[in-house]
Amino acid sequence: MILSDFEHERPGTLAEAAVLLRRHGADARIMAGGTDLLPNMRVNLVRPATVISLSGITPELPKSEPDGTIRIDALTRLATLENSTLIREQLAILAESARAVGSNQIREMGTLGGNLCQETRCLYLNQQHDYQFVVPCFKRGGACCYPFPQNKPDVCWSVHMSDVAPALIALGAEIETVGDKGGRRLAVEDLFTGNGLKPLSLDNGEIICAIIVPPRPSGFGWGYHKSARRGGLEFAMAVMAVTLRVAADRNTCTDARIVIGAVRERPVRAVAAEQALTGTILDDASVAAAVAAAIEEMKPLPHHGFTKSYIVDNVRVYLRRVLTRAVRNARGEAETA
Amino acid sequence: MSKAQTNQKVRSQIVEICVNGEWHELTVKPRNTLVEVLREKLGLTGTKDGCEQGVCGACTVMLEGHPALACITLAVECHGKEVRTVEGLAQGEILSAIQQAFLDQGAVQCGFCTSGMLMSATALLEKNSKPSLAEIKKALEGNLCRCTGYNAIVAAVQQASGQGVKPIML
Repeated sequence: MILSDFEHERPGTLAEAAVLLRRHGADARIMAGGTDLLPNMRVNLVRPATVISLSGITPELPKSEPDGTIRIDALTRLATLENSTLIREQLAILAESARAVGSNQIREMGTLGGNLCQETRCLYLNQQHDYQFVVPCFKRGGACCYPFPQNKPDVCWSVHMSDVAPALIALGAEIETVGDKGGRRLAVEDLFTGNGLKPLSLDNGEIICAIIVPPRPSGFGWGYHKSARRGGLEFAMAVMAVTLRVAADRNTCTDARIVIGAVRERPVRAVAAEQALTGTILDDASVAAAVAAAIEEMKPLPHHGFTKSYIVDNVRVYLRRVLTRAVRNARGEAETA
Repeated sequence: MSKAQTNQKVRSQIVEICVNGEWHELTVKPRNTLVEVLREKLGLTGTKDGCEQGVCGACTVMLEGHPALACITLAVECHGKEVRTVEGLAQGEILSAIQQAFLDQGAVQCGFCTSGMLMSATALLEKNSKPSLAEIKKALEGNLCRCTGYNAIVAAVQQASGQGVKPIML
C-alpha cells in the first residue's frame, strides 16, 4: 500500500503540462485532485514514472456568457460547483450531481475534469493484487478476468462510475481540450469510448481544460438521481440524469435527453427512450413508455454485487420518478416532498 | 510483489509547510504523503492513517482552510501551504468547543476516527455556525466510525454549535 517512487512535475500552465505529458508518454499521468489517481497507484493499478500535477494552476471561476452559455474550468473543485451560486441557479442538475460525489473531503479535493477522467471500477480491478488475486487481470496486462471468467482479453466489463458525467451529457455539454497538437472540442458523450480497457477517447498529451454548457431553452426541466446502498460516501449502483423541454402548452415534450450512468463502461444515452418521449403529451403513460424503452437499451453490467435484474428494477422505479420530477420542474411546479 | 518500488534516482525536494501556525522546512520524496510527513517527520500522530485510499476520513486535516484527506495528498503539493491538524485545535490546556462537546457527549469510543471527525466538524462549524441535522450528516459523511457511535458525534456537533443539546457525560 506504500506508493512507489515517481518523479513529480508541477507545470504552471496546461500547455506546459500537455508538452510534459507528450514527452513522458505512457509513463506519465496527470493528477488534478489526486482522489482517483493516488488510490489507484496505491493498489498498483497504475504505476506512473512521472506524475504531472496540475495543482500549480489556479482554476477560473465558472463564467456565464451573455447568451447563457456557461464555461467551467476543468480544474474547478466539485465543492466549488456544489456551492457556486451561478451553478446552483443556472445548472442545478450539475450542482446536485457534484453534491452526490464521494464525501465532503473528496469534493473539496476532486475536480470536475478529474471526475470525468476517472478510472473505471470493478470489484477486483481496484483491489491490491497480491495475496487474494495473484494473477493480474486483463486490464492490468494479465491473463484472466475475475468477475467474468469467460471474457476474452480484449474485453473489460468495468464500470465508469462518474456521477457528474450523466448530468453533463444530459445538459448537452462540450469539452474543450488542450494538447501539443492544438485543442479541440468534443461532446462529453464522445469522451467515452465504451471500452473498459481504454475508457477515454483523449489522445496521449491531451488534457481537458474546460467544460462548456450550452444555454438552457425556455420550458427546460431536469431530474437527477443517484441510486446507491447508503446514500453517501460510495460509488453509484446507477445514476439517472434527465433534461427535457416542454412546449408553450406545458404538456408536449419537444426535446428530451435521458442518460443512465454507472451501469456500463460508459454513461448510456437512452436514445430510443428520448425518441419515445419527444413529441408526446407528457403524462404517466408516455413516461412509462420512455422508462420501458430506456430499460430495454441500457443493458446494465452486473457490478459491485448488484445483479442485472436488481439494477433494472431500481432504474425502472427511479427513472420514472426522475422523469416525473423533470416534467414538474419544466412546468414550473413546486417540488412535492 | 507488494514491496513498493524504490528508485534511488528520484530526488528529494525541500518543502515548506506551515503546520498549526509553525513553518517547517522538510525534505520529502514525491511519493511521501502528507499524513506520512505529519506522523513520521513531525511526530504529530494525532492525524490517523486509516484506509490509505481516501475512504475512511481518519486522516482529515485542514489544508488552506478546507478539509482534505492527508493520505491522498502528496507532501510536495503542500509547499507553501497552511495545514491544521487536530493538535492545533486546543489552546494549551483549553479544549476547543467541539473537542469539549465530544467529551461531554461520549462521542469517543475507540478514538481512531475522532481526530478526523473533529477536523471535519471544525471545518463545518467555521463555515456554518448553526448547521442543521442534515448539514451535519452531510459534512461528516466522509468520516467512518467503526464503533458506529455516530449519534453521539452528531449530538456533539449540535452541542458545540449551541443548539440546545446538553452534555450527558458529567
